[in-house]
Amino acid sequence: MAEIALSVEGLHKSFDPGLFERRVDVLKGLSLEVHRGETFGFLGPNGAGKTTTIKAITGLIRPDRGRISVCGLPHDRLEARARIGFMAEQPYVYNHLTGREFLEFHAELLALPRARVGARVAEVLELVSMTGAANRAMRTFSKGMLQRLSLAQALLGRPELLILDEPMSGLDPVGRRDVRDLILAEKERGTTVFFSSHIIPDVETICDRVAILVDGTVRAVGEVRELVAQEAEAYELSFVGGDAVDLETPLLASHRGSDAWWVRVAGEHRDALIRELAASGARLVALSPVRSTLEEFVLRHYEGGGR
Amino acid sequence: MRAVAAIARNTFREALRDRVLYLFLGFAVLLLVCSKLFGLLTVGDEGKVIKDFGLAGIQLFTMLIAVMMSVLLISREVDSRTVYNILAKPVRRWQFLIGKYLGLLATVAVNLALMTAVLLLVTVVYLREFDAGLLFAAAMTLLEMALLTAFATLFAVLTRPMLGTVFTLAVFVIGHVAEDIWLLTQHVDSGIVRPLVVAVHAVLPNLERFNFKAEVVHGLGVSSGEVALTVIYGLAYTAMVLVLACARFRTKDLV
Ligand SMILES: Nc1ncnc2c1ncn2[C@@H]1O[C@H](COP(=O)(O)OP(=O)(O)OP(=O)(O)O)[C@@H](O)[C@H]1O
Ligand SMILES: [Mg+2]
Repeated sequence: MAEIALSVEGLHKSFDPGLFERRVDVLKGLSLEVHRGETFGFLGPNGAGKTTTIKAITGLIRPDRGRISVCGLPHDRLEARARIGFMAEQPYVYNHLTGREFLEFHAELLALPRARVGARVAEVLELVSMTGAANRAMRTFSKGMLQRLSLAQALLGRPELLILDEPMSGLDPVGRRDVRDLILAEKERGTTVFFSSHIIPDVETICDRVAILVDGTVRAVGEVRELVAQEAEAYELSFVGGDAVDLETPLLASHRGSDAWWVRVAGEHRDALIRELAASGARLVALSPVRSTLEEFVLRHYEGGGR
Repeated sequence: MRAVAAIARNTFREALRDRVLYLFLGFAVLLLVCSKLFGLLTVGDEGKVIKDFGLAGIQLFTMLIAVMMSVLLISREVDSRTVYNILAKPVRRWQFLIGKYLGLLATVAVNLALMTAVLLLVTVVYLREFDAGLLFAAAMTLLEMALLTAFATLFAVLTRPMLGTVFTLAVFVIGHVAEDIWLLTQHVDSGIVRPLVVAVHAVLPNLERFNFKAEVVHGLGVSSGEVALTVIYGLAYTAMVLVLACARFRTKDLV
């Protein structure tokens, strides 16, 4: 049984949007567990409640119901909070500080030993490649630079659990790769990383497990490989000498090429389709399983949202 | 406690870099120019006029800082969401709020100290006298501002910045006239006026208690008992308002 770094149980949260408007239920009994040392991707369409969940974990909002624990401690204990490194969805700026002052301020909040603050700040600046700009005012930074600084702030206290809300959004390809490498480096050190993202290929390459949040509940959770395998039950066939329009077997897709038909069919209907083609005198020229990607899996869940 | 100190220091630094000290410079220039004018205009006791005017100016300018900066700097941190990074760290909500409060109070105090120094300098140069009473009056103004800043902190967590500023200003104005109005309406017993006045009088502080200008300017004595009572009144009231602010902020969703 793996050790649990983050556990969320039956989380409910609704917001009061204001006078004369109906309360909106945003989280509807959300539960998930993140094992120690794993990199966990938190996916879901816009408005699914990812940021709300993350704010509840970091204590910025109070859930209406539900339990959250971090490394076995209730999440509102300061000892739990000290183990978390958090990077918010958007980087937020102090206009009056330089990058270095910003990090020094946060080092104080973490109560890092005074003698080590300077060295640690220099270290994380180096990690996010911001050493060169460290003495400039934050208000002159680009979005990507602010994002890096925000990440640096999250890494400052060597957290056991890193919680990142869309760490790669708004970054150029180099920045994205850097963040990816940083997450992998943290994983290497044994840090648990929990992050939300819309960039599926990144999630697919770096995450051990993912959860898919739709409409305030977790719709699917598991290893990327497992989830994709569930989906792989589809086949592509090509045939000549017949017409796909006449087929009775339900198809997922069909397309007429120059001399052959190309169709896609769910695994359960594969054999029926082959029999039907044989009976109608068409000739099968190719058959292959569709290797589904996480992207397709995710799309299917996002689009099935309302139900 | 390091967190409180760090937040206070950051707030103080923000205020300085927002150039609040310009207000102090404005005061200094105004006082110097006016003192010169008073010297030319007044026949009688120019010393009293300068002291009275100087103390009133100090009160007005520090009030402006307390009212404008306080609500602004607290709501700025919440609205611009820099507060997310702070509160996701091992920092309690009340530590954040008290840190902000102390940083603001330090800003007010430094300005007040500088203005008082200018006033002392002017009295020494123009009037050739050093009046320690001015220091006492300034200290009482600081106490008043400690209370007013606490109200600003409360309003900053209760409402939007604009409203918060207006409310804090209202506390300042009403706090200075409530007692008089209360006395004036002693014998009015028609309709809503009386209960309203009584309610306001009961809830809002009586800021005239911190006003020792007349005593200082005219060189009247102030009993130590009265000073002690005023200090206790100011500190207790401030603590109460801050506790309310922290209680409200403790459960607030930061969205
Ligand atoms: N303060 C609030 N008041 C009312 N509704 C809110 C509030 N905050 C969030 N919501 C609603 O909660 C839902 C979830 O929002 P949340 O920010 O958690 O989504 P998300 O999954 O992070 O989306 P995105 O991918 O766009 O970042 C949205 O429908 C949003 O409108
Ligand atoms: Mg979000």
